[in-house]
Amino acid sequence: MELYHIQNVDHYYGTKQVLSIDDVSIPEAAIIGLIGPNGSGKSTLLKLMGFLEEPTYGSIFFKGRKTGPFSSDTRFKVTLLPQEPYLMQRTVFENVAYGLKIRSDLKRLKSRVEDAMLQVGLAPESFARRRWSALSGGEAQRVALAARLLLKPEVLLLDEPTANVDTDSARLIRKASLKARDEWGTTLVVATHDWQWLFETCDSVLHLLHGRLFKGGLGCAVYGPWKFGWEGFLQKELEDGQVLVAPSPEEGKQVAILDPSRLKIVLLSKSPLLKWKIGSLNGFVTRLFLESNGQTVQTAIKIAELVVTIRIQREQVELLKLYPGKEVGIQYEPKEIEWL
Amino acid sequence: MDFIQEGFAQAYALLVRLDPATYSAIGTTLRASSLAMAASLLLGIPLGYVLGYFDFLLKKQVRIIVDTLLSLPTVFIGLVIYALLTRHGPLGEAGLLFTIPGIAIGQAILSLPIVIALTATAVEASDRNLHITLMSLGANRKQIAVSTLWEVRLGILAAAVTATGRVLTEVGISLMVGGNIKWHTRTITTAIALETSKGEFGMGIALGLVLLLIALTVNISLAGLRRRI
Amino acid sequence: MVVMLAVFSATLQSVKAAGEEETLLMATTTSTDNTGLLEYLMPAFTEKTGIGIRWISTGTGKALKLGENCDVDVLLVHAPQAEIDFVDKGFGIDRREIMYNDFVLIGPAEDPAMIKGKSVSEALQAIGSSSNIFVSRGDESGTHKMERALWKGADIPTPEQETWYRQSGQGMLPTITMASELLGYTLTDRGTYIKYESVAAGKPSLVILVEGDAVLLNQYSVMPVNPEHCPSVKYKKAQAFSDWMAGEEAQQLIGIFKLLDKQLFTPNAAR
Repeated sequence: MELYHIQNVDHYYGTKQVLSIDDVSIPEAAIIGLIGPNGSGKSTLLKLMGFLEEPTYGSIFFKGRKTGPFSSDTRFKVTLLPQEPYLMQRTVFENVAYGLKIRSDLKRLKSRVEDAMLQVGLAPESFARRRWSALSGGEAQRVALAARLLLKPEVLLLDEPTANVDTDSARLIRKASLKARDEWGTTLVVATHDWQWLFETCDSVLHLLHGRLFKGGLGCAVYGPWKFGWEGFLQKELEDGQVLVAPSPEEGKQVAILDPSRLKIVLLSKSPLLKWKIGSLNGFVTRLFLESNGQTVQTAIKIAELVVTIRIQREQVELLKLYPGKEVGIQYEPKEIEWL
Repeated sequence: MDFIQEGFAQAYALLVRLDPATYSAIGTTLRASSLAMAASLLLGIPLGYVLGYFDFLLKKQVRIIVDTLLSLPTVFIGLVIYALLTRHGPLGEAGLLFTIPGIAIGQAILSLPIVIALTATAVEASDRNLHITLMSLGANRKQIAVSTLWEVRLGILAAAVTATGRVLTEVGISLMVGGNIKWHTRTITTAIALETSKGEFGMGIALGLVLLLIALTVNISLAGLRRRI
Repeated sequence: MVVMLAVFSATLQSVKAAGEEETLLMATTTSTDNTGLLEYLMPAFTEKTGIGIRWISTGTGKALKLGENCDVDVLLVHAPQAEIDFVDKGFGIDRREIMYNDFVLIGPAEDPAMIKGKSVSEALQAIGSSSNIFVSRGDESGTHKMERALWKGADIPTPEQETWYRQSGQGMLPTITMASELLGYTLTDRGTYIKYESVAAGKPSLVILVEGDAVLLNQYSVMPVNPEHCPSVKYKKAQAFSDWMAGEEAQQLIGIFKLLDKQLFTPNAAR
């Protein structure tokens, strides 16, 4: 079942429009990356998905039901970790325990809090009694994360969780979040510039630009290193030796986007040598997900270390006889690759 | 100038020898002030929260009115309360004129704008991220209110200290509404007014010093509170 | 913090207790109260009659207003004309003369206007023509009304705009203090003057210059508030108070009350 369905959302701050989203669905237990330049609306979108604010126009459905702030459906299930770590003026223990206290869920409180602290790499003996002002940025962020993980949320929204922290903290934060997904099936939506998140973990990536989902969303971001290739093009060697070709980017742009709507799925049985041709790649299907309209299927295809999610009609799925695990080919036009 | 020295000597004498009239006045002052502060904090903190936290039509105008009320002269408040509590007035039947609760009502009105304005300022100054954090951890509106007020508790304490200072030292209300009746509604401040009008300046200074001592004691305990929370 | 909570709860208890008190409430003037007469006299009243009494001392104008507003049960003031008006308007009832003292003109010992020994009218004329400072109560009190009557009696219009005429708007003692600072003249009741003398430790800078004139009589009266105008007043108790004040015991006590070994008031209740 889809977890989120965001429909015709237009959001304004005063008279300025900050978001304009036609239609997007987020499945359960996925890890969704959210990328876009500063000011593109990532934080706003996460706030709306966290039901901290209500969209000016449009609706957000959670598990099929239209939902807003303070709703009993979502209040205890969806949590947002904001960009700047903010702790209340109390001890670390009190900060982490807050969520459980307001739910009146006090069984074995001490050991649960200490477990959560261990999950983010904060030893209870030295950290539990510390006051909020005696922590580094990274430690504070980990405390904030622990407070949320403790709640075993169904959705964890992370706004630049590792942007302002030291590398150790970044690693621990990532590890703890992924563990949540693995153990409890928590859906993660991560707004980030950190390639380690996107590269290694995201099932699909939403790309926001000026408040709009770029080219239908769910794109695939490709990072360096790139080598100079043939005729002014750059090429990137994937882990399995395949090569992705893209045109040279402008100054300062570093991330290439494969627009899934421009990709074509082909059967390998018909052209077995395709993978050596420029503009062709081989991979295999990892996930098929039917969207709520009953017509389109999100098809996730893993190509070496990349995952692209292409929306195709269900008839095509039947025609191509797609199933998870099946090997397929992807065709793309190198000139159409965009840079971020 | 000698009456100032005289005042110090007399203050010591009054306190150490347990002068009954002085201690009666101290008791009256403390009783009226505590009632007034309790009422104004109970009402003022939630109202201050609403003013600071929510955005509503006419918010700016309400804020201006509250800030203006900070300058209410005590004699003016005293007069208005007298008009309300007098026999023929709307609350005449309550028999509150010339009583300590009557004084407390007037003093509460003096204190209320201070508590509201300073609480609202404290709430407004609190980090936007607090609200986001509280909501994202699943707090409902009531829990957000309580937690926010706890977060700005030092600002609220400052409001209480300021208001208490103003209430302990006012004369206009105690005089008009209390009537300065010896043993019953004579406060330290009205006693000072009386002694000064009788020409007993030394006594006036003495009582002033007593009041300062009370204020010092109150503030020491509030400072102790500040360290603990 | 704990102390404040304790005081707070004690207050609540006393608030409940206060509601059950049934005492008489009197409005009187500051000059009466400041002499100490009431502190001296009232306990005898309570002992004799068992009725508790509390009093508020303010200016005459406000005392009358408190009576009119039904906020007090009985008045003890010294402004005969105003009192008669008060009764005529139906606010007061059974006005009863109790005691008197007199007014005196006081001024600096050097007496620049040379009023010593003159009659009141002559004295005021001398002050006016020599433009010496005169400090007035300026507060519609009994003393103030008396002063205005005296200017009128001397054929001088009340010197409102004159620079030498200063209106303090305050009680008798602050007015005397102001006069002594400005080295000016003022009208005061003898009782307050004696009090001023005692406070000045026997070395007052202002002395009595004119006294004894018949017009300088200062009559004190007791007036219960009219129960027809104010149904809630404790009329019976106020009557008891009035009766006691005119009775032998009170009249005797008034006569022997002294300040600085000087008699302040002369009892003159009708037998």
